Amino acid sequence: MNGAFRGFGAILYKEFITVLRDRMTLFFMLFPPLVQIIAFGFALDSDIKHMAMAVYDEDRTFESRQMIDAFVNTQTFRVVQQVQSLEELSAFVRRGRAYAGLQIPPDFTRKLRAGQKATVQVLIDGSNSTTALQALNTAMGVAFSRSVEVLLRETGRRDLPVEVRPQVLYNPAMRAPNFFVPGVIGTALQIATVFAVAMSVVRERERGTLENLLVSPLSRWGLMLGKLVPYLCISMIMATFLFTILRWVFFVPIRGSLVALFLSAFFYIFALASLGLLVSTKAQTQNEAMQMSMTIMLPSIFFSGFIFPRETMPWIFYAISTLLPLTYFIELMRGIILRGEGLAEFWRHLMILAIMGGGLFSLCALRFKRKIV
Amino acid sequence: MPQHEVMIECDGLTKRFGNLTAVDHVSFSVDKRSIFGFLGPNGSGKTTVIRMLCGILEPTDGRARIANVDVVRETDRIKGAIGYMSQKFSLYDELTVNENLLFYGRLYGLRGEALKKRRDELVTLTHLEPYLGQRASLLSGGWRQRLAMACALVHKPSVLFLDEPTAGIDPVARRELWDLLFELSSGGMTLFVTTHYMDEAERCSNVGYIFMSKLIICGAPDDLKLLPEVNPPGTRRIDVTCDHVTVGLQVVRKLEGIMAATVFGQSMHLLVEQELPEQHIRDALARVGVHQADIRPIAPSLEDVFVALTAKHSNNGGQS
Repeated sequence: MNGAFRGFGAILYKEFITVLRDRMTLFFMLFPPLVQIIAFGFALDSDIKHMAMAVYDEDRTFESRQMIDAFVNTQTFRVVQQVQSLEELSAFVRRGRAYAGLQIPPDFTRKLRAGQKATVQVLIDGSNSTTALQALNTAMGVAFSRSVEVLLRETGRRDLPVEVRPQVLYNPAMRAPNFFVPGVIGTALQIATVFAVAMSVVRERERGTLENLLVSPLSRWGLMLGKLVPYLCISMIMATFLFTILRWVFFVPIRGSLVALFLSAFFYIFALASLGLLVSTKAQTQNEAMQMSMTIMLPSIFFSGFIFPRETMPWIFYAISTLLPLTYFIELMRGIILRGEGLAEFWRHLMILAIMGGGLFSLCALRFKRKIV
Repeated sequence: MPQHEVMIECDGLTKRFGNLTAVDHVSFSVDKRSIFGFLGPNGSGKTTVIRMLCGILEPTDGRARIANVDVVRETDRIKGAIGYMSQKFSLYDELTVNENLLFYGRLYGLRGEALKKRRDELVTLTHLEPYLGQRASLLSGGWRQRLAMACALVHKPSVLFLDEPTAGIDPVARRELWDLLFELSSGGMTLFVTTHYMDEAERCSNVGYIFMSKLIICGAPDDLKLLPEVNPPGTRRIDVTCDHVTVGLQVVRKLEGIMAATVFGQSMHLLVEQELPEQHIRDALARVGVHQADIRPIAPSLEDVFVALTAKHSNNGGQS
């Protein structure tokens, strides 16, 4: 190829051989993302089920057992131990052997039958706010539904005065993987692509081969594109793997079109690879490249909406989030995979990614000096 | 006259890195077809000069031209004309010998049959045939150097820059490289070689010596040996071959009329006053038990030239 991209073909030829022979780089590109998606996908499950619960039943009646069953039937709790004193109950929670402790006082049934206020005590380990919140909500729910049952019986009404009929769209089971895994795919692709591209340029600088390239008539656009394309291909293959896992391991249904999915991945990876190039135009050593990549990537974990919703962020973090490719990729993934968005809905995010990629890439090519130092 | 066509020309070439002046107003010219030896201690600025001449480092001041093309303003125009073999022969280790050659060929725009033909020519020139399928990382020093050389020659440059091409190479490979350089030179190529070895410097048609960022001398080896700084009036150089030269050196150095003394293998080279009788040296040696001494006049070597000039410039530096 001549003109602006002179030398592109040569770099492409060399880079593909290098990448395929360099088992270490290939391994570090492909393996960690797989581990990451599997680990994150399974572990980042905020649906809390079957929390350990200790029970101190002083009443020992049909009603008290019914109460315990009501707790267990929510699937949030499972009874791990029946204890014989209040001290024992609190000790169980304190030692972390149970997330919650349920105490049913001896007068529970009597008061219930007498139409008085019957109380049960629930101890909750608040050291983990997520589990505590769910335990609390579930306990309240149990009490509420038992109360309603009694009230209905007493008043003779058959139906509730008001009933909410919720219909959760797009992720009806409200499964956490559906929410998290698209973000995990984004971060996994980000780490692998930015590192690999940055390293491949910086390694040449360290080894001194860059000097030979600079002496040659290779153009900077040729060099940049030659470095970008092979890693773009590898990352696309990786994205395919990750989507496969999403679909067949986590059983997340893909509602939107596959074309839209891969188009998003393509523009996202293009932006990432350009980011890697940007790092490489600045970093002199592989160490520097590593640190600079981390500095760029770390904020994206917190501010991209991967874990925390962007809408509730202070404006400064929200502003940062608009600069991150990951933000748009996650929006795209959730839109296409979960909500089945079509081009009319998601084109804006796709466009932003394309502009980011194109802008960064041009910036790198223009910034790259065909000089040593 | 075509013999004196100037190929490389620099004028007041200067490079500063912050407060450090790496190259200080260096001016010289290299004729077409000649082999120019660029000498100097480590860190004296040799590589910096090469990088500026190759257009990959911007000079702070001064001009450089290759084949009448300015290397700063028209960098792209010199790229096809120059070949560069960097220090430590940077090659792509994951690529085989063949792939390295093909890569560099493509980089310089060769394709298809032309590329294969050129590759074959280079393989014949450098005898790399048996190693074609081997990874570059597995080559020994001498073969790495040949491959680096072949890669630098892929586009038939008219000037070839070699930065310490013989560092860390065994003597046989060193000799073979020089044979190759002479072959290229006779084919019309201009060669610019940096080296530490004096015997290599003696083989060059011209040498330049850079010391503390300044080019202190430049010329044909034989002309340099006749310089008055190297042969101060009223002195002569003699070679004294005897047993126990190192013992002899200690006593000879203390003699009056001896201006410089160094050991060369089995003998010592002395710079002595014209009038100093040889008998004085024999007597001094006899006192430490060295009775057999063969004394004969010699011409200065290139090393003598550089030692003398370095000493002179170090002194000048001290005064100013």
